[in-house]
Amino acid sequence: MPGLGTSFGRGGATTAQQDLQNADAILIMGSSMAENHPVGFRWVLKARERGASIIHVDPRFTRTSAMADMWVPLRAGSDIVFLGALVNYVLASNREFRDYVVHYTNAATILREDFRDTEELGGVFSGWDPDARKYTTETWAYQGAEPTPHQAGHEDAQGGHGKDRGGESAELEHYQRDPTLEHPRCVFQVLKRHYARYTPELVERSCGVPRDLFLQVAEAYTSASGPDKTAAICYAVGWTQHSVGVQIIRTAAILQLLLGNIGRPGGGIMALRGHASIQGSTDIPTLYDILPGYLPMPFFETDSRTLKAYIGKHSTSTGWWHNFDKYIVSLLKAWYGDAAAATNDWGFNWLPRVSGDHSHFGYWLDMADGKLEGLFVMGQNPAVGAPNARLERKALARLKWLVVRDLVETETASFWYDSPEVERGELTPDTIGTEVFLFPAAGHAEKDGTFTNTQRLLQWHQKAVDPPGDARSETWFVYHLGRRLQARAAKDRRPRNAALNALTWRYQTHGRHAEPDAEEILAEINGYTVADRKLVTGYTSLTSDGATASGCWIYAGVMPARGENKARGRDAHGRYGHGWGYAWPADRRILYNRASARPDGTPWSDRKKLVWWNTSTHQWDGDDVPDFTKDKAPDYIPAPGAKGDAALSGTQPFILHPDGVGWIYVSSGLKDGPLPAHYEPLESPLGNSLYPQVTTNPAADKKARADNVYVEAGDDRYPFVLTTYRMTEHHTAGGMTRFLPHLAELQPELFCEISPELAHLIGARHGEFVRISTPRGAIRARALVTPRIPPITANGRTIHQVGLPYHFGRRGLVKGDAANDLIAISEEPNVRIFESKALLCDVRRDPDGALEDRR
Amino acid sequence: MAITAFLTDSTLCIGCKACEVACKEWNQLPDDGFAWSGLSYDNTRALGHSTWRHVKFVEREPVWGLGGNAGDHVSWEFSSDVCKHCEHAGCLEACPTGSIVRTEFGGVFVQPDVCNGCGYCVVACPFGVVDKSPADGRAFKCTFCYDRQKAGLMPACATACPTESILFGDLDEMRRLADERVATLHARGMTDATIWDPRETSVGGTHAVFIVRGDPASYNLPPDPQVPTIYLKPAWQSAAIGAAALLGSVLFAFTRHRAPA
Amino acid sequence: MPVQGMTTEQRLESIRDEAQRLGAVAAAGVRAAGAPFPQATGETGYYGLPLLKPPTWTWEVPAYFFVGGAAGASAIVAAVAHHSGADHEAIAHDARWIAAAGGIASGALLTADLGRPERFLNMLRVFKLQSPMSVGAWTLTAFSSAAAAAAFADAITRQSRGLTPVRVLGDVSEALAAATGLVMSTYTGVLIGATAIPVWHRQARLLPLHFAASAMASAVSMLELLGHDASELNTLGLMAAAAEVGAGVLIELDSDPASAPLTHGASGLLTRAGGVLAGPVPLILRLMARRLPSARRSAAVASLAGALLTRFAWWTVGRHSVQFRCAEAADHR
Ligand SMILES: Nc1nc2c(c(=O)[nH]1)N[C@H]1C(S)=C(S)[C@@H](COP(=O)(O)OP(=O)(O)OC[C@H]3O[C@@H](n4cnc5c(=O)[nH]c(N)nc54)[C@H](O)[C@@H]3O)O[C@H]1N2
Ligand SMILES: Nc1nc2c(c(=O)[nH]1)N[C@H]1C(S)=C(S)[C@@H](COP(=O)(O)OP(=O)(O)OC[C@H]3O[C@@H](n4cnc5c(=O)[nH]c(N)nc54)[C@H](O)[C@@H]3O)O[C@H]1N2
Ligand code: SF4
Ligand code: SF4
Ligand code: SF4
Ligand code: SF4
Ligand code: SF4
Ligand SMILES: [Mo]
Repeated sequence: MPGLGTSFGRGGATTAQQDLQNADAILIMGSSMAENHPVGFRWVLKARERGASIIHVDPRFTRTSAMADMWVPLRAGSDIVFLGALVNYVLASNREFRDYVVHYTNAATILREDFRDTEELGGVFSGWDPDARKYTTETWAYQGAEPTPHQAGHEDAQGGHGKDRGGESAELEHYQRDPTLEHPRCVFQVLKRHYARYTPELVERSCGVPRDLFLQVAEAYTSASGPDKTAAICYAVGWTQHSVGVQIIRTAAILQLLLGNIGRPGGGIMALRGHASIQGSTDIPTLYDILPGYLPMPFFETDSRTLKAYIGKHSTSTGWWHNFDKYIVSLLKAWYGDAAAATNDWGFNWLPRVSGDHSHFGYWLDMADGKLEGLFVMGQNPAVGAPNARLERKALARLKWLVVRDLVETETASFWYDSPEVERGELTPDTIGTEVFLFPAAGHAEKDGTFTNTQRLLQWHQKAVDPPGDARSETWFVYHLGRRLQARAAKDRRPRNAALNALTWRYQTHGRHAEPDAEEILAEINGYTVADRKLVTGYTSLTSDGATASGCWIYAGVMPARGENKARGRDAHGRYGHGWGYAWPADRRILYNRASARPDGTPWSDRKKLVWWNTSTHQWDGDDVPDFTKDKAPDYIPAPGAKGDAALSGTQPFILHPDGVGWIYVSSGLKDGPLPAHYEPLESPLGNSLYPQVTTNPAADKKARADNVYVEAGDDRYPFVLTTYRMTEHHTAGGMTRFLPHLAELQPELFCEISPELAHLIGARHGEFVRISTPRGAIRARALVTPRIPPITANGRTIHQVGLPYHFGRRGLVKGDAANDLIAISEEPNVRIFESKALLCDVRRDPDGALEDRR
Repeated sequence: MAITAFLTDSTLCIGCKACEVACKEWNQLPDDGFAWSGLSYDNTRALGHSTWRHVKFVEREPVWGLGGNAGDHVSWEFSSDVCKHCEHAGCLEACPTGSIVRTEFGGVFVQPDVCNGCGYCVVACPFGVVDKSPADGRAFKCTFCYDRQKAGLMPACATACPTESILFGDLDEMRRLADERVATLHARGMTDATIWDPRETSVGGTHAVFIVRGDPASYNLPPDPQVPTIYLKPAWQSAAIGAAALLGSVLFAFTRHRAPA
Repeated sequence: MPVQGMTTEQRLESIRDEAQRLGAVAAAGVRAAGAPFPQATGETGYYGLPLLKPPTWTWEVPAYFFVGGAAGASAIVAAVAHHSGADHEAIAHDARWIAAAGGIASGALLTADLGRPERFLNMLRVFKLQSPMSVGAWTLTAFSSAAAAAAFADAITRQSRGLTPVRVLGDVSEALAAATGLVMSTYTGVLIGATAIPVWHRQARLLPLHFAASAMASAVSMLELLGHDASELNTLGLMAAAAEVGAGVLIELDSDPASAPLTHGASGLLTRAGGVLAGPVPLILRLMARRLPSARRSAAVASLAGALLTRFAWWTVGRHSVQFRCAEAADHR
């Protein structure tokens, strides 16, 4: 999540759900927390019961709105306008938390003369290259700081998860600050000018939110922030699944930094994540462009060929990333063991290189074009869950072989005989060449392992029952697959097999099926000293001389000693959930918590104290593990030329940033600008009221092609705004719910939510079938007529929005069309996520399925 | 043995249905079929032989700027319904086999090994809770998790509830909490919050106390429920009269032609 | 579990049609103002879904009400006739057999309706005064055995001219049958009267009398159709018919919404048909009987049909009654 990564230094939620109970206001936006994080939502209710005001901003009145004090329906895709206006409200009324802003953010930092803002260039920042459709970020840099040695991200291939670690390595040893915040080119002033036009009137025009209602929200939220008050923001994919997703989150980050709500109890940004271990799957990535612990994956050619060069490029001389070399070397040691030596760059060249866009959409489109031979699908159901599911399913038919490991036979496994395409005759089983292998997988209750949840919390789960029949765990499958591949490679010593031969791939196994010991794997991830295999107690013990190995540096400390698995912890105590599981890094529940104390080390207020400088012990003490060098005094001034953490003073809480402060302005690391600007969704009923010439995010990639068509501006065949979402009763693509009677009966059929007005407009009646179509596809659903999704008036136009859950597919106890047949494949520039939350569609009454597919 | 009860507070209910599912899982109940109701998000519709906890979705027109928690407005209320475990339980009184008993926890329990499926409890419940399973032939309803309570565990539904909307504990304690809670809610401006616990009616109070906003009737919580045993007296009186009339009329008919000898 | 009496589809259809007609919906569970979508309100209750569960009883139960009632009344007639002169012996004889046969049939019908027939005997695990069903089960057991014994004793006595012990047994069981018969022909009114079903418990006072009359009418009519034309029977028939007319009038006069099923819709038709056949029709025919005796047979047939219909009508209204919970709630307010 580079939105958070670039702003604060780490790509994870800055706080814990338990901490929400300490908030004085909670803004839930781009999330329906009560529906999708019901267990965590209890903490929101606790805050509410303590008098905090809960604000839900959502096009729909959801279960969450029903629990909130205020519900603000807005036009899908207009979030940056709304948040930008909040920022403007704070600045215009001088409500920012001055001391915090001056000391703990880069508001005072002065920018280069040649930097130009969107307000000056009519919608793009300086450095925009219209032909390459991307930015050169040189002009974004701080005044006086050496420009980064290269462009934002990896030049050719984009892909940005690497930036989760917090911005490109920028050399920020020398830069200028103006603590008075008066300098016309200081970030603070630039920010003021940038958001000056984001007014309540604009909110009314663009978001369709009445001016007074907006002001009510602004006042409620702002007044709940300050030295003795804090406010938190919760978001999820209602923000991320936009062509400007990362910048929406950035705007929230800016707001929180201005109000001094980061690193303090009851504050923060709670990034509510998805699958039980989706955070874990970016920490130890299932992504193509990062290595465990957010170390970037080396890129072919464009990237460094030697470890030295690679480290030189990604480590920073100041700030925590100065330790980059320790983490990459320890990782290589963990993977290649004795084979990794100083002489062979610790096996750096055995790492594969990224040769292009291998994100889900990257390779799936290649697949559609017949460029892929085989595919493993483990724990995913793209035939239902992925956008343009039609294209995705048809692409499967172009494979030679497909392996699906799942709990049930999903639509992905059965595409070749019961997909809508087969029904429509676009595909026929006997002409599909794909050989499909379906492996039964063990569910989480049938195997040991960890979940790393939405708040960076590692939680161990123990096997409760044996998996049925041939079902096996992922660990088992991957381990034994690896063993077999190694056995073959051992016979064939060609260089291509060197990595495989060097790989340490031996784990204790137990039981009838030789199941690998999950805790032994966790031990390897935790890290150990190579000599005596003694487990390390934290990442500070890792070295760059090959003496230590660690599979994921940020997890170091989860198992400080054999048999001491902190992820098993279940005795929660305190207001931050300590004792339950283990939160990376170093069991810190609230990140950047040095900011909870004044520069002099005393708490901002007694009510909101978290960690403070203990003058007698000369250490940081408190209710949370300090996210700061324990004995670095508040008055510590780095010696000239000091490196790494030592180069950061005692008043710089954002220790992963080279300048140790929170970034209101991101000089490098983002591909669509240093400051968030509003762009319309790729498909929108309106033009961009702020930048008429630049309607949509210029850096976004539409991946437009014959089988991924968009509604062109002004095409009135698709007049309504479509947004997709979840229901508590089902889970994502439905593999885990549509097949279970006790869940399936709760939401047995696909429906779409439309307002009584829209129902009247299209002559559809409650419960009747309607046909929803986009240029990508058309589906059939029941009309659930409800005032919970009201029409919105924006730019003097009435805009009808359609809500559609995306859980349904053609298999299981309850069936329905897949919402994703309607969605386009598009890529937000930083994380390459698609836009499922705001697009255009048509809805027609279709009681008996008469309307044929108008594609 | 403590006399236990539920306090189900709909102002804390997020409608996640975890209670409904937990109950079905614990008691291994069948599904109710897979029919879309069109009634808000409620597709299981009511308590029955296969649904012993049921979450209701009371939908009203939302007002911009006011969430459901706003003092002066209710928009979408969720409330988890369950067998009321009445103090004077129609089902228990009516059961001819003695299959329905009062447990040491004050709950009303149907003994499956005794029930012969006469269906009389079904028409004796003033809340439409207990129902006869066509498949199985016997009557079923919430057991008050008698098995779990015996083992010192909380009922499955209360255990699953993430928001403590379902509280479980000592009856008097629950009633005290209910009073406190409603006082707090009123103080917060939610003056439409009420306790539903028909103590003044012949039902004599329940072991499932509810806090709802708005008119309890909109949750199908009847304002003035009566245990059917109150109709026994008048009915038996007429029966006696009827019997007398029968005997009388027959005697009259068969003796009036007799000429005195 | 579809909404009582309607599948989901049908329900949605009705909501839509109304929406179409009025542009707004007032059907139970649907808010009147604005565009049509279901709403739960104090007036409609929870989307108009019935609060109560409809009776799960199948046709055997109303059939039992009829048979049991007739049998009970017959037992009374038998006993009285037996002791009121030799010229009544023939009536007593047949009445005995009707009672005996009815008793056995009743047991069969009741058992057949159980979800677990093999557990009929569980009915005798306990005796609960507060449970009409329990009282009924015990009464039925006593009655059917007594009635059977009486008939059996009667049979033996006829062959082996009057062995005293048998005759004593006969008389005792006959008396017992008559006594329990009094309960048999009335308690079913209590059984459904003392339930949560509004249309039933509203008539808790009327039902036992209503059922008693109908039971006597049935017994008399059966005997008449078996060829007995003693004027005593006509007198009884007249009184029963008169009582049924009274019941009918009371029902028609009750305007309470909870009683609507008795006068509205299919269940209303059934009730009225039963009422007319059980009350006015036989009453008039029987009054005519002095001048043309054949009218009595028609009266008997009408009464029997009326009695049978009446029992099924009450069963039916019970199943529709759950729809009226809100009205009921209202009248409690
Ligand atoms: N029960 C359940 N829980 C889940 C899941 C599930 O499938 N079922 N999925 C899990 C996963 S994988 C994830 S990623 C999370 C996702 O959690 P959420 O992000 O909460 O899930 P969604 O319902 O997709 O989207 C949230 C809300 O965004 C709103 N929304 C749509 N467009 C916009 C917009 O333009 N602006 C704003 N402000 N809001 C908008 C929608 O109306 C919706 O209410 O949930 C996780 N938890
Ligand atoms: N239109 C639209 N599309 C969306 C979204 C949206 O909001 N709108 N949300 C997006 C988001 S955030 C997400 S995360 C995706 C989710 O989309 P997917 O991840 O494709 O869908 P899931 O159903 O979560 O797939 C998980 C599968 O893993 C299986 N499974 C569970 N446990 C195990 C295990 O231990 N081993 C194995 N091998 N399999 C297991 C489950 O049965 C299930 O079939 O959907 C995305 N798609
Ligand atoms: S499913 Fe798991 S992760 Fe999601 S809310 Fe429930 S407990 Fe939390
Ligand atoms: S609610 Fe109904 S089923 Fe439950 S105890 Fe009361 S009468 Fe019995
Ligand atoms: S159905 Fe079972 S529980 Fe209900 S009254 Fe009859 S015997 Fe008792
Ligand atoms: S108490 Fe037990 S049986 Fe009753 S509803 Fe709760 S879980 Fe179900
Ligand atoms: S589990 Fe609790 S919150 Fe969820 S529906 Fe049931 S009562 Fe409401
Ligand atoms: Mo997700």
